[in-house]
Formats: sequence, C-alpha cells, structure tokens
Amino acid sequence: MNFDWSVVWRNSDALIEGTTLTILLAVTTMAISIPGGMVLALMRLSGVRPLVWASAAFTELFRNLPLILVIYTAYYILPVATGLSFSPVVTGIVALSLNVSAYNGETFRAGIASIRKGQSEAAYALGMTRWQTTRDIVLPQAVRRVLPVLASTWVSLFKDTSLVSVISVGELAYNSMRLRAQTYRVLEMLTAMAAIYWMLGYPQAKLVDWINRRYAVTE
Amino acid sequence: MDLDFEPVFDSAQFLIGGIGLTLALSALTIITSLALGGAIGLARCYGPAWLRMPLVFYIDSMRSVPVLVVLVWTYFALPLLTGVTLPPFWAALVALTAHIAAYVAEIVRAGVNSVRAGQSRAAFALGMSRAQAIRTIILPQAIVRMLPAFGSILSITIKDTAIAAVIAVPEYMNRSQTVAGQSFHPIEVFTVAMAVYFVILFPVTRVVDMVYGRLAHLGRS
Repeated sequence: MNFDWSVVWRNSDALIEGTTLTILLAVTTMAISIPGGMVLALMRLSGVRPLVWASAAFTELFRNLPLILVIYTAYYILPVATGLSFSPVVTGIVALSLNVSAYNGETFRAGIASIRKGQSEAAYALGMTRWQTTRDIVLPQAVRRVLPVLASTWVSLFKDTSLVSVISVGELAYNSMRLRAQTYRVLEMLTAMAAIYWMLGYPQAKLVDWINRRYAVTE
Repeated sequence: MDLDFEPVFDSAQFLIGGIGLTLALSALTIITSLALGGAIGLARCYGPAWLRMPLVFYIDSMRSVPVLVVLVWTYFALPLLTGVTLPPFWAALVALTAHIAAYVAEIVRAGVNSVRAGQSRAAFALGMSRAQAIRTIILPQAIVRMLPAFGSILSITIKDTAIAAVIAVPEYMNRSQTVAGQSFHPIEVFTVAMAVYFVILFPVTRVVDMVYGRLAHLGRS
C-alpha cells in the first residue's frame, strides 16, 4: 500500500478555498440566525395567539427534520416558490438559517424563561416599567445562560455546514470529495479533510467547554 | 404550481422499505452507541488514570468533526487502510456509532458528576465498597438525570441516519432522492419526506419529555 501525501499540498488551494467558504457559511448563518432566533423567541413570549402558534410551529418543524432533507428541499422548492434562481451557496445559507434559527429561538426562550418570576415582580414593585425590567433585570441574567448554549450551537453549525456539500456548494467537504474523485487519492484527500475539520473544530469544542464552566450558573 | 403526488404513491413500497431501513439503522445505532458510549463514559469516570487521556481525546475529536466526514471516511478511506470493505449499511452503523458514542459518553460523565460527592461519602461511611456505591447509590440517580439527554440522542440519531444517504445506504432519504430523480417530481417527494420524518421525530421528543416528567422525582437527592 503506498500513499502519496503530496497530493494534499498540490491541491492546497482548493482546500483553503473550501475552508474559507466553510467559515463564511457558518458566520453568515449565525449572523442571520441570532436575530431570527430573537424574533422567534419574542413571538413565542408575546402572548398573542397567532404569533405564539406560528413561532412554535416553525421551531418544532425545523427541530424535527434532518438538516440534509431541509437542504435538498430548499434546493428544489426555493426556485419554484419564489420564481427566482438561487445559487447553491444562498440556498445552503437559507437552509442552515432555518435550522439554526429554530434552535436559537428555543435557546433565547429558555434563557428568558429561566429567570425566576420573582426577579421581574421585584422590579415591578420598585416601580420599573416592563421595558426597564426586561432590559435591566431579565436580559443581563438571561445572556449568561444563553451564551454557553449559543457556543454549542455554533460548533454544531460549523460541522453542519459540511452537509451543504450535497447541493454542490464548494466548501471544504465538497472540494475534498471532488478532489478525491479527480485525483483517485481517496485516503489522502479524505484524511486531509478530516484533519482540517479537526484542527478547526477541536479548539472550538474546548472553548465551548471553557465557556460552559466559566458561565455555569449556580443559584 | 401543479403538484402531483402520483409518483410518490407509485413508489410507495420502495419508499416504505426505506423507512424500515431508516428505523432499523437508527435502532441498531442507538443500541451500539449506548453500549459503547456508556462503557467509555464510565471508563472515563472510574477507569484507570492512563486510560483517561486517550478517551478524552477520542470524545473531543468526535465532537469536533462533522458526522458526514466520519461517514465518508469510514466508507471510502477505512477499507484502503484495513483492506476490509464494509457494505454501506454496516459502514454507516460503524461511523454513526463512533460519532454518537462520544456524545453518549459525555452525557454519562455529566450525569455521574451531577450526583453530589456527599452521596458517595455517605455510602462509604456505611461501609459500602466503591463498586457497591457506584452500582446502588450513584448510577440509579445518575441514569434518571441522563434520560432527557438520551432522549435528544434518540432524535439526533434518527436525523443523522439521513446523512448515511451520502454513502448510498438505501434508507428513506436515499430512496427519496432516487424517486425524486426518476420521477422529476422532487418537490412532492421531499415534501412527503419532510412529513414522514416529522411524524417519526416529533412523537419521539414528546414521549421522552413525558417519560422524564414521570420519572424525574427518582433522580432528586
């Protein structure tokens, strides 16, 4: 058995390009999904029936579907539903954002709900308005509980971006598998792909553990 | 937009077979992951010190690499190293187990650590051996606390089996792609697939919540 690892260096351009797109996909999706999740959480907590239901339905739907299926469906449905043609990258971002927004919405909702009622009641008793209470009492505490969960979601998202390779978005997984087919150096290319994901993902996983310890809530 | 679900019904038998394979792969993966992950988690908590570092390294590595990468690597690259080619289904079982067992191990560790140290000290004070304390005092409480997390492992596993479609396991996702490609009705086929996955996954989360609600008091101390 002989392996030729030089193939990895010879194709480093495509790998670096793919890695850049992987990071961009994750950053863009998170940038969309944090406001998206906030909107979902606010709808859920608004007390207005149709908004609560719409938010709950969205969240439950996308939390209970395999992401790869959402990606395929978006790929076929988006152009028909909107009449526009989307690039695979945009389709991938849409599908990832639907998924991550649903998770973020739950995270924000749970974070806000985890602040005991006594806290806001005490604020009202002191004469604070609803908005003041939310801004000065509830949110600062909720952020501490939300942050570790958001960090875990980020790591999941970073890994899940690999799934958009199925609609031929040229990120790390897609480029590696394309090179595998072109060069016939299967083991070398796939190991390089795994190694790059590992090098990027490992520090993130460790960082998440640290954030979890740092922000652990002890009441 | 004209929807025509005829192709889905025409291929119903083929698709239902795929659902069967999805459920079979999920069930097998859950069993093997619980066994392997449970063993790794307990070995990390109670095993010899030299074993801890490699286990932590394994767990953290699996947490940092996408499951797609593990699947593709196991199916395409592993045979070149070992000379043994696994059929897609078994390659998927191996890869998914390797991945999910790491998460199970983390859940086991968190559950065991959540039982206060005073509990085992009290057990030792009563003259129990370490094994007795672990078996009769710590684990029964820890396992109840692990239940909600094991519940999410159930749905994560079922969702992850869809990724096995990439290595041509003829499960439901893969067969939906086949039917979508052959019938030129991808929208109908994938819409039905969304409905099917939702109908499988939604009750799983609900039932787990309900069971935990019934059992939660057993884990309190």
